[in-house]
Amino acid sequence: MDFFDAFFASGMRFTTPILLAALGGLLTAWTRDLNVGLEGAMIFGAFFGVAIGSATGAWLPAVILTLLMGAFFGLVFGFIVAVLKVNVFVAGIALNVLGAGGTVYLLRSLYGVKGTLSSDTVESIPKIDIPIIGDIPIIGGIFSGHTVLTYLCWFLVILTGLAVRHSVIVRRLKASGEYPEALSTAGGSVLSMRIFAQVWCFSLCALAGVQLSLGQLSLFTEGMTSGLGFVALAAVIFSRGRVVWLAAISLVFGMANAAAIVIPQDILPPQFAQMMPYVVALVGLIVLAKTSKEAAIRISTPVLDQR
Amino acid sequence: MTIQSEAKNQSKIAKRITSKLTAKKLFASLFTLVIGLIITIVLIQLQGYQAIPTMIEGLKYSLGDPTQIARTLAWGLPLCVASLGVALAFRSGMFNLGAEGQIYAGALATAVAGIYIGPLFPGVHIAIVTLAGAAAGALIAAGLGWLRAVWGVDEVLSTLLSNYIVILFGAYLVTNQLRDPSRQSGTTRTVQDSSMFNEIMPKTGLTSAIYVVVALALAVWWLSERSVIGYRWRMTGESPSFAAAVGINVKSARISSMAVSGALAGIAGSLLVSASQGRYWTEIGSGIGWDAVLIALIGRARILPTLGWVAIYTVMRSSARGIEQVSAVPAELSLVLIAAIIVIAAARPGVFTQVDQLRQRYFPRKGA
Repeated sequence: MDFFDAFFASGMRFTTPILLAALGGLLTAWTRDLNVGLEGAMIFGAFFGVAIGSATGAWLPAVILTLLMGAFFGLVFGFIVAVLKVNVFVAGIALNVLGAGGTVYLLRSLYGVKGTLSSDTVESIPKIDIPIIGDIPIIGGIFSGHTVLTYLCWFLVILTGLAVRHSVIVRRLKASGEYPEALSTAGGSVLSMRIFAQVWCFSLCALAGVQLSLGQLSLFTEGMTSGLGFVALAAVIFSRGRVVWLAAISLVFGMANAAAIVIPQDILPPQFAQMMPYVVALVGLIVLAKTSKEAAIRISTPVLDQR
Repeated sequence: MTIQSEAKNQSKIAKRITSKLTAKKLFASLFTLVIGLIITIVLIQLQGYQAIPTMIEGLKYSLGDPTQIARTLAWGLPLCVASLGVALAFRSGMFNLGAEGQIYAGALATAVAGIYIGPLFPGVHIAIVTLAGAAAGALIAAGLGWLRAVWGVDEVLSTLLSNYIVILFGAYLVTNQLRDPSRQSGTTRTVQDSSMFNEIMPKTGLTSAIYVVVALALAVWWLSERSVIGYRWRMTGESPSFAAAVGINVKSARISSMAVSGALAGIAGSLLVSASQGRYWTEIGSGIGWDAVLIALIGRARILPTLGWVAIYTVMRSSARGIEQVSAVPAELSLVLIAAIIVIAAARPGVFTQVDQLRQRYFPRKGA
């Protein structure tokens, strides 16, 4: 039973950053500006979580300030994409490289260290233990003993799901992607919807990064997102814009990640275990393309050879 | 007016238009470079150093004397091949973001062929290891290209994911079967001498691989700009439905352009082993696949601009190393800059439109 307990508990833990980033990416998929830079936004979030955490010595300001920074950079990114009309694919790829290079740059220039940033003053996000449920095997591991961000991401799933059914803003977001003319005729602003989607996306990616760096270990290492942003991107594409699917697929990826930790090394070498989420995503992508009748969301690649 | 003079007139107009276009293009690159320069100055000043002298120190490190130029050049060779490969795929509308993984695959195949085959006559052995690298990269890229062309599997995502799978697979092999028992985990044994390019300038790392790279660059330029195959690929990239309508086999264009792109990335990885490191290890690629993607995007996937940006980035990166040695500015400066430059280059038309609109609003020109 301990095996399953550990498996489900770490599965929920790994799902959190993937699901948060994917929920962020979902809105950008609705506005047809699917952000390929989830990975870059996440690693910045992870870095600033630890940086702010070591400066303030408490986890709550670290989470909130990183969230606000994410929102600000989302605004900048949205401006670049929607107003300056930079192709979102190009901007996203640049963001990924900036994330990998920029965090290392900041790490060396601000702290003078290579590789890992950790300090005694950094406080990791506390785990919330739910009294009675926490003692039940398996179910306890699923529902209890996680960070506030884990509960937040599932709350956001429900919130987004309800918003799809009942709110105007989701229709406006989708309209700004599918029928921008219709939206502006109806008096909505396509521009503000597109920028809002990026702000939302960056905020959640920042939280996803914080969960990675402060959720478990309270340290930052170079390249610590290691492709999780791309896995989240895969989840967004698989879900074809549907929230329930998004949550389910993120859960599958998270569980694949957890399996990598739980399965003993002599059965499965660690490298193959780490490969699991990517292999699952790739196989899923192929199956999806082969079986689906409706077209999957294409990442909007630019036509390069124009001038 | 005679026909001749009319023709003359027309060619004059055509010339004027092209010269205007060239001027516009030059201005665009200049704009990007100037903003890039301003960012560099700000970043260096922020670290508390005099920007201009520090940058001159950096340039001395990259281009100061023939030895330094040769070192810079040697580092740029794999990047050059990889960038050409990525540009070629982009040109035919295949967004190959798996260059990093294909570089690792090429390096791994080269290391295996360099260790276990031979020793042979050097030229033959070098040809074998390079082809092994090319084949490894080409197989992966062509496979993903096939999935895109035939089953419609989005190549952006599949190539992205393939990076991690390939790199982890390489890591598995070098910690187990291919591991050098006398060293720390994570590297192979050194390849045999006959599979290594010789240095043509002592102690610079500049090897005869440069001839191979020049030949490849010429071949890629011809393939893309002058050959029938290249024309088909370009058509496929610009408009697949048009290409299909005029009888171009879109599927085969997609698969073959990916295969060639992967082969070039594989050769880039191969050069990392056979022209510099001499063995495979878990972080041999060090992100040059990503650099190549950015460079191909900035060069708008055209061969000559891509080559130009490879040269600029190579000097930038080498200078950043030099700057790191004389100051506390990290060498990642070059990565930050290249990411900024690509956004600036892509945002330039948008910025001008915005500035124009603001001017129209606040300083309306009469009669305009």
